[in-house]
Amino acid sequence: MLAGPAAPPPPRRRPLRPFRRSADESILGGVCAGLAARLAVGTTAVRVVTVVSVFLGGVGILAYVAMWVLVPVADEPESIASRVLTDRRELQIVLALSSALLAVLLVTRSLGVSDLGVPTLTLLTGAVGTLVVWRGASPAETARLRERLNAAPGLAGAPSGWRRTASRTGMGIVLIVVGVGELSRTGSFSGAALGVLVGTVLFVGGFLVLFAPWWVRTLRDLSTERRERVRAQERADMAAHVHDSVLQTLSLIQKAAGDPREVVRLARREERELRHWLFDPGRLGRHGERPETLVDAVSALEREVEDSYGVGVELIAVGDCPMDDGVAALVGACREATVNAAKWSGCAEVAVFVEVEPGTVSAYVRDLGVGFEPASVPDDRQGIACSIVERMERAGGRVAVQSSPGSGTEVELVLPRSSSAR
Amino acid sequence: MTDTALLRVFVVDDHALVRSGIRAELGDAVDVVGEADEVAAAVELILERTPDVVLLDVHMPGGGGRAVLDQVLRTAPAVAFLALSMSDAAEDVIDVIRAGARGYVTKHISGPDLVDAIRRIAEGDAVFSPRLAGFVLDAFADGARASVPAPTFDPEFDQLTPRERQVLRLIARGYAYKEIARELGISAKTVESHVSAVLRKLQLTNRYQLTNWAAERRML
Repeated sequence: MLAGPAAPPPPRRRPLRPFRRSADESILGGVCAGLAARLAVGTTAVRVVTVVSVFLGGVGILAYVAMWVLVPVADEPESIASRVLTDRRELQIVLALSSALLAVLLVTRSLGVSDLGVPTLTLLTGAVGTLVVWRGASPAETARLRERLNAAPGLAGAPSGWRRTASRTGMGIVLIVVGVGELSRTGSFSGAALGVLVGTVLFVGGFLVLFAPWWVRTLRDLSTERRERVRAQERADMAAHVHDSVLQTLSLIQKAAGDPREVVRLARREERELRHWLFDPGRLGRHGERPETLVDAVSALEREVEDSYGVGVELIAVGDCPMDDGVAALVGACREATVNAAKWSGCAEVAVFVEVEPGTVSAYVRDLGVGFEPASVPDDRQGIACSIVERMERAGGRVAVQSSPGSGTEVELVLPRSSSAR
Repeated sequence: MTDTALLRVFVVDDHALVRSGIRAELGDAVDVVGEADEVAAAVELILERTPDVVLLDVHMPGGGGRAVLDQVLRTAPAVAFLALSMSDAAEDVIDVIRAGARGYVTKHISGPDLVDAIRRIAEGDAVFSPRLAGFVLDAFADGARASVPAPTFDPEFDQLTPRERQVLRLIARGYAYKEIARELGISAKTVESHVSAVLRKLQLTNRYQLTNWAAERRML
């Protein structure tokens, strides 16, 4: 027996973890929390320092955005910057929007509204950084940010629509008032300003000619991308459905290949479900609930009998009506008749026809099976016939059975409807 | 026509599996003179080979069976079409019938029944499956049944006679034409003429409901 490996020497100090942005403790990008973990100091302290440094000529903003973009999140391999730089399309979008931003800045400067001082440049860099974050953040981080922003007070966190609208409108008005105030303070449109104005117009025009097509294309790319995402989502839904139903059924069929009855049953069920899904999606959602109308109820009956007895039920329905006690009795009797046909006729197909007319609801259940002599029915089947007949008579309807050996059976169920029920 | 082997049949369906299935079902009972898997090829080949009956899939890329019907019947109105489909969507089925198909059966139909349907179509009769009969009954429902009575423009085309209604109802219940004849005490030929009359009405009516009923299945 070999001696166990020597116990590793106890770590002298906690090794410094690599600098990664934090996903769990983040407020915006998780830079402060990450930095705090890296430096083994309190997160709050780092946050305070950051906020203070924002007022030192905007250094805090620049540093924060730079780290946000350059440092990856703890559990992600790539930083936002590398993600944007490797994706040509994203890079293009970022460049296009940054140039548009720069254009706006130059225009405002030439109008004399702002000068290109350090704060403005800082703001611009910050905005570009935010742009990069917007385009390059991983889906997980985007979702996290969206959640944070939605939870932010006054923005979109308000439960009702009007409050959100009000806060947005309020913010908009504040911005406009400040802007107009700024303009009227610095801009002087009298006399000499005309030359400046003309120059500005020429400048803006040139910029538009140079860059507008590119911006437009970029915007179009953005909307194309959104459409593609929607389409991909639809495809995923479709694939999920096909997987859940069709592929599952196919594998069940392969397993049951030796049992033709089971194969037929599975194929029928799948066909029915697919048909509902394709042509009657509204009805699909109501499966399993208490049927509200005659057609819902007989569709459920069709499903049940096909699944339990492995025969096909060809259901034809003309018109529809809401369920009431009488209609429920008719559906019950119809089920008995269909089950009988499925069990005894030896036929692979049962035809069920229901029709709603102004004065009556009728149902016909027909098979082309062995049939029987109504006069010489064995006792147990007489009992079933009774349950159909009695049920219908209690509801005020009537039953007629037509059958003879060798030529199939048809059960006719007719229920008068009082006009008050309409 | 006594010799069904002479019937020349053309199959239009975009699924090769379905086409070979139909060929197998038909066997030697008819002469399959060609098949096509899309609209343009179908139109060209049908016009070239002038089959007696075209078996037409309702759902196909490029305009569906409807497009084939429109383009062929414009130049060759004598070609008879039988719509063959898995589809249950009432408006699609009614649409191909109104475009000129002489009948509609589902792909579940057995080989002998399909041959029989082809023969009847070739003889100029109409072929209604139970499902189509149900759709038509629904479409021609009495004004009293609808929540809003349909404006009737032409009573000759916009309404079914009680006899026609009876025949359709029996078809919907799963009766064969022969059984309907026995049930109603009329000849099989008379049954067929009733069905043909219904087909004509279906194609000629401008009944408001036909275009709208599928969208608003009525409730009583």
